[in-house]
Amino acid sequence: MSEDMHDDLENTPLERRLRAALTPADPPPGFVAGVMARVAAEPAAPQRARRSPAVVSWVAFGLAASVVLSVLLAHQWQVRRIEQGREARRQLLEALRVTDEKLDLTYRVVNAQPRAALPPHSGA
Amino acid sequence: MSGDGECTHDDWLTRALGGERAAFAVLVRHHQRAVYSLALRMLSDRHAAEDLAQEVFLQLYRNLGAVSSESHLGFWLRKVTLHRAIDRLRREPRHEVAALSEAELPASEAAAGDPILDGRLRRLLGELPPVARAVVLLRYQEDLDPADIARTLRMPVNTVKSHLKRSLAQLRERLTSTAGALT
Repeated sequence: MSEDMHDDLENTPLERRLRAALTPADPPPGFVAGVMARVAAEPAAPQRARRSPAVVSWVAFGLAASVVLSVLLAHQWQVRRIEQGREARRQLLEALRVTDEKLDLTYRVVNAQPRAALPPHSGA
Repeated sequence: MSGDGECTHDDWLTRALGGERAAFAVLVRHHQRAVYSLALRMLSDRHAAEDLAQEVFLQLYRNLGAVSSESHLGFWLRKVTLHRAIDRLRREPRHEVAALSEAELPASEAAAGDPILDGRLRRLLGELPPVARAVVLLRYQEDLDPADIARTLRMPVNTVKSHLKRSLAQLRERLTSTAGALT
């Protein structure tokens, strides 16, 4: 539907007549009293449900603070995880280095023993 | 707040929210004409319209905390009145054929223009389907634009425009078939 359809609706004789015919009507006398009588029969007065601007701003501040705190905690947790990973890697490298040294030492000890000490080669 | 004469409508709303019934009565007095007129034109029955308008104000009293400002109050009242009227017409379709006769109209309504033609227009309006009737009332009685009508009746703007176009065509056709005027 095109936008100018609305313009087509404006100010035709029928529309002008409708506006004239649809003037607001007055309610019967005693209408307000009738409403208030029904209101008086209500159990309790209405409660202010809407929050004051101060309360709204405090709620907004609290929400923003908890979001910032959550982000900071998540960042801290991630940094700690990275540090733990680095420490584990360092310990693994150290263990490998120690093992390598021990193996090397063992190899040298074994090679340094005289060949005579070895049992004679039989079966020739 | 010292003097009642200095109160704006928002002040009355705030006081009513605080539980002051006299302030609520001021709000009712201020909006009674708009709410009753909508109910009357929707239901075409004075007693049903009065009853519905009172129910709307009672619902307002119970839900006053949901209203944020005077302009919101006007919007809320129109919305609730029309939705309640549409619901009632769907439940009790007898209202749809019980259009007001010219004799039932108060003097203020038939004061200007052509009272016979105006009365016929109002009767033809009462023959429109409930939702289309609500759209026409918001447009020509409450002077709302299609976007505001769409918000009030919770429908797309294009649907509002379609209702208006179709209703005007229908009214024009029925009017010309009986009177030969307003082509």
